[in-house]
Amino acid sequence: MKIKSPTAVIPGIYLALFFAYLFGPLIIMVITAFNSSNFPRVSPWECFTTDWFGKLVADDKLIEGLGNSLLIGVGVVAVAIPIGLAAAIMLSQVGPRLRASLYTIFIAPILVPGVVIGLSTLIFWDRIGTFFNAPYESFFYDGTFLTIFGQVTFIAAYSMLVFLSRIQRFDTTLTEAALDMGATPTQAFVKVLLPFMAPAIGSATVLAFLASLENYNTTVFTIVSSSTFTTVLSSKVRYGLDPSISAVAVIIISITLIGAIIYECRNRYHSKGWSLVVAERPVLKVATHPGSVAAVLGLLAIGAVLFIQNHDSSACTAQILEDKRAIQQKLMEQQSLDTPAVTPAPTTPKLGPLGGEDTGGTSAPSPFGGNAGSIFSPENLSGSAGSTPSTSDAPTSPPSSGVGGIFAPENLTGSGAN
Amino acid sequence: MRDLFYDLVKRNGMAVSIYLMVAVSLWVFLLIILPQLTMLDYSFRFNLPPGKIGGPEDVYTLDQYRYFFQGSGSSGGLNTLDIGILFKTLMSAVFVTVFDLLICYPVAFVLAKSSTGAKARLLVLALIVPYWINEILRAFAFRILFGSTGVINEVGMGLGLFDSPVDFIREDVALYAGLAYAYILLMIFPLYNAIESLDRNQIEAAQDMGANWWQVHSKVVIPYAKPGIASGMTMVFMLTAGALAAPQILGGPSNLWFTQLVYQWFNSGGNWPRGSAYAMILLVVCIALVLLTMRIFKVSIGEIKR
Repeated sequence: MKIKSPTAVIPGIYLALFFAYLFGPLIIMVITAFNSSNFPRVSPWECFTTDWFGKLVADDKLIEGLGNSLLIGVGVVAVAIPIGLAAAIMLSQVGPRLRASLYTIFIAPILVPGVVIGLSTLIFWDRIGTFFNAPYESFFYDGTFLTIFGQVTFIAAYSMLVFLSRIQRFDTTLTEAALDMGATPTQAFVKVLLPFMAPAIGSATVLAFLASLENYNTTVFTIVSSSTFTTVLSSKVRYGLDPSISAVAVIIISITLIGAIIYECRNRYHSKGWSLVVAERPVLKVATHPGSVAAVLGLLAIGAVLFIQNHDSSACTAQILEDKRAIQQKLMEQQSLDTPAVTPAPTTPKLGPLGGEDTGGTSAPSPFGGNAGSIFSPENLSGSAGSTPSTSDAPTSPPSSGVGGIFAPENLTGSGAN
Repeated sequence: MRDLFYDLVKRNGMAVSIYLMVAVSLWVFLLIILPQLTMLDYSFRFNLPPGKIGGPEDVYTLDQYRYFFQGSGSSGGLNTLDIGILFKTLMSAVFVTVFDLLICYPVAFVLAKSSTGAKARLLVLALIVPYWINEILRAFAFRILFGSTGVINEVGMGLGLFDSPVDFIREDVALYAGLAYAYILLMIFPLYNAIESLDRNQIEAAQDMGANWWQVHSKVVIPYAKPGIASGMTMVFMLTAGALAAPQILGGPSNLWFTQLVYQWFNSGGNWPRGSAYAMILLVVCIALVLLTMRIFKVSIGEIKR
């Protein structure tokens, strides 16, 4: 075995430090999502809790923003992908001089600050709307449309780059062969070039959708009075740090990791070496199929959701609260001992409300502890028919406090039924 | 334009060519050029109430730009506050860019030259995963990390490095760390692509002829990777200077980023022309700085590719 010289391990140590910088902040953020402390922190550790997820699901603004974001994402994909494809094809067919200047124009939106793009989009459509004397409700002033336009400006350039790297490997003799054999140019395009670009269309779609979801700089200008997932998140962060934001991160990181694992499994599964390994072993072949990996991960995710809904940390939080009150009690006694006979009476009521407030804030029944277990009960699923009130699932707690009931069908039909 | 269209028709047929031309023209004119021109036009106007727009008072003016240089006083004094913010933003962006280059170059080199196959792919995947986490959440993670009761302060105080919590937010340490973190990927990939295509034999030849590791990098690898370095630095610089989320979340209460000024004029200030003028100033100054740097280091724009 070769013994590594001390200098040979330096790259390894450097890489380790680098990835610590890359993942450390994310790991700490994930940990804070499970601490019951009201401020996102790792220490002092209070209780393991999953209540922050409940708070998240109950956040109507965030859910509404997510809905808008998904709609905008679909719109952006629908507009940006055809544009990016057209731009890439055009670049691949023009002469070198025109190509250079076109490339500069096409690439510019990536380098222009997102703030500038958002602002100019807003101004431009506002002016067009004024020119046509359009009413305020028309799409010239609509946040969703403006955001789609603003985001397409640079996301089309991203997707163009994806298409360019694929189209550079396109063998143009294929098209020529098709033309020689009597295909019209349009047929050659649809039957030869488009199928070749199909994988790039897939990855560009994913890229465009994700870029649209996470965009902030442009969106914050173009969204006007509406909101997206990212803008809601940003105002949450700016107006108060709260572990439920860490809970958002946990969900997004989990989805990203699941996607990355499945992607990697797919690559390995289709690699040459692996297909030789599994050729004789059908069980291994099925077990390592991306589909089965996805199924296992999906089951794990469902398990995690069930665990989060059923985990009850109210006993622990109550204990923490008790400890805090005991400490406070001690402090109060200490204080009344320190200042004897001068003002012994007012000290107690002064500190009293503080303790009381604390009690009210944290010892309230945990939103998930209460009635979360009943989400999957059969009554809930059938209960939405007609105007049956939701008394069947949680007779003891009022419906409004039952965060766990967010998935219950009654809640989706609106509070009118109650 | 007409020649271009004929050429396209000959190769793709009429229907496809119309699609290509329409899609690209809509993008270039309706989404890229016209909005920018409108913004430029807006920046030369007074901030008028809707009723007066198009009226006799709606004339071109340099007033918005004058405000950036002189402030509200017409005495000719300099608007040191706003100019200072622009200067500080640019300097910070340069700092973040150089920092990113320094930490990413070794990683890109190791990735490109020592890792192969599955291992390299896994490392690349590990680089991409943090990039898919929302920008806001990444900034939030640094807020937690650097807060007064955050992990850094707890560890630092535990080790006895400092007695009382350091306000990293006010000192802008959190902002720089967060910004550098946000754009690492955009630095690594151009570097990686450039270094990867370098023939290993060139490095070995240099080593055989007695070059030490520093000479290998300064004489062989870096000159070869110059387009990649330029492209990574350009992207990180432009995105850092134009960042809005990270400064809003991680910036100290008294330190503003220039984009925040634009945002303020636009939203709370309600002065669109002035916001446009400030955005134009940011855009022009950033582009000028990038072009100047490329001129100094003798890199042409055409070399910049992803």
